[in-house]
Amino acid sequence: MKGGKKELSVIITVTERYDPVRDVFYFYKQGLEAAGKSYEIIYVLDGSYPDVLSELEKIQESEQFTIITLAKKFGEATALNAAFSVATSDIILTLPAYLQTDARDIPALVNAIDGCDMVMARRYPRKDSFFNGLQSRVFNSLLRSISDLEIHDAGCSARIFRRQVVDEVPLYGDLHRFYPVLVYQYGFHVTEIKVTQNESDAFRRVYAPGIYMRRLLDLLTVFFLVKFTKKPLRFFGLIGTVLAGIGTIITTVLVSERLFFDVALANRPALIMGSLLIVLGVQIIAIGLIGEIIIFTHAKDLKEYKVDRIIN
Amino acid sequence: MSVQLSIIVPLYNEEDSVAPLYHSIVKSVDRLDTDYEILFVDDGSTDNTVAEAQKLAARDARLRVIIFCRNYGQTPAMAAGIDYANGDVLVTMDGDLQNDPDDIPSLLEKMGEGYDIVVGWRHKRQDKLITRKIPSRIANRLIGWITGVPIRDNGCSLKAYKASVIKNIPLYSEMHRFIPAMASLAGSRIAEIKVKHHARQFGESTYGLSRIYKVLMDLITIKTILSFISHPIRMFALAAGVIMVIGMTALVAGVFQLASGSGFVYISVALLYMSLAIALMSLGVIGELVYRTGNMRIEHFARIKSNVQDAP
Repeated sequence: MKGGKKELSVIITVTERYDPVRDVFYFYKQGLEAAGKSYEIIYVLDGSYPDVLSELEKIQESEQFTIITLAKKFGEATALNAAFSVATSDIILTLPAYLQTDARDIPALVNAIDGCDMVMARRYPRKDSFFNGLQSRVFNSLLRSISDLEIHDAGCSARIFRRQVVDEVPLYGDLHRFYPVLVYQYGFHVTEIKVTQNESDAFRRVYAPGIYMRRLLDLLTVFFLVKFTKKPLRFFGLIGTVLAGIGTIITTVLVSERLFFDVALANRPALIMGSLLIVLGVQIIAIGLIGEIIIFTHAKDLKEYKVDRIIN
Repeated sequence: MSVQLSIIVPLYNEEDSVAPLYHSIVKSVDRLDTDYEILFVDDGSTDNTVAEAQKLAARDARLRVIIFCRNYGQTPAMAAGIDYANGDVLVTMDGDLQNDPDDIPSLLEKMGEGYDIVVGWRHKRQDKLITRKIPSRIANRLIGWITGVPIRDNGCSLKAYKASVIKNIPLYSEMHRFIPAMASLAGSRIAEIKVKHHARQFGESTYGLSRIYKVLMDLITIKTILSFISHPIRMFALAAGVIMVIGMTALVAGVFQLASGSGFVYISVALLYMSLAIALMSLGVIGELVYRTGNMRIEHFARIKSNVQDAP
């Protein structure tokens, strides 16, 4: 890249959903010019999108920006990581390849990064159909119940953050949607600003049931990461103790009835149930202990706090 | 810059206590002929704690204030203080004025007799009987009995450590109450002395009954680590052996009753327990693998001890 280090790296990720490339590019460019900072644009293509690529190359004749193409579809997190390794500036702005927010809000987003580490855009008011609005509200309130972070629109891809955030908080798998929650958990300052939702983003979306299932599992992963990473036994221990406890009570009652009151043991199905509960409970506790051993052996690498500043 | 003594105080929303605390520490420690530093660790307070501490630090270069990005809890705050301390001896205490800095000289005096860790015992505790003192007494008995380090008051923050001992002990989750137990791994010599305890002057007491479960789970963890960490497989093999015996008993009972037709129930139960035993053995192997590939070894603790002995 010519012109040395820029103030802002703009990463535009192309995945399944994208709008006409030229429109999007100039729309964003207009917003970026208005922000008044020097910037570089990096396009990441997650897999092969020949029509997008040819269109981008045409734009490249008159504009300067970088294109990264991944060899196959790796997912949004990998695409972003690939772009981070190319990005040169200290502030990174990610934008979707479709018109989700209004480009006129880009200056506001860029200004909001002063004094904090990550700014999420929140589409407000939502123009979605009732059904889409509802599912988004449910999802985001679940997310809020897991973490203290006031997050209202995890689905909005327009985010701006400092380089340091990416260096310290690993972004992987399907977790990019939850990234702000993890970033907050690491001790960074995360805020949210309201932006206008683009008209074309407001169409009705229906997802396959599998998608909901996956979101729910992701939510569970984040829940575990946020609450119990350093104390796995507290999570597994609770489930395991309850199960094994119930199993022990059942078995004890049955066995003592056999021993002291001569009630036949073999024709009571509760015996099998009690034994199964014990077996399950003990295994869960044992897995929790393995978790604790893992944490203990890596305790030196896991710094739990983040220092803001030191006086004297 | 190396000093003889570091005093570490975690602070969380203690705006009223900061100044009196600072003055009483200075008053007590100035009488000793040592050079010292005070570390205030602000655990993401939302009140004026930082401003108050900053005012004091502006006038006294011996006072350092470590400010966290957000609230992490008491153990990380202690851990940060310990990480940043330069002293040969580290003293930790609560920030709520319940500990008395007047006890610091007697802690140090006891340490001079050749102990690595000296813990305070609040023998006239000024807290509510039902919600604080009784659960705490039971917890301490339990901790002492299980860890084999019979300290009467694990919850007392007023403790003095040799820096060479404490800096090598992993501190995570809420492990600060188990530091003496962890240190006993290294064969450290631990003493306990009576200290004063004042009723809370400002603010609310921040702990409740809900922590019993957490302490119990942490205790299981600590026991595992203390007894078995260098050979995780032994613990799992022990448990597996016990369960295998139950399984075998049921199997024998089943074989004898095959004729009566009820034998298959016993055999099913036997198979369940035996499968649990096998699962536990497998987990033991995994635990062993984890420990062998981790970077935290019991040998590290042994090295600490020899350092202590080498010191003049």
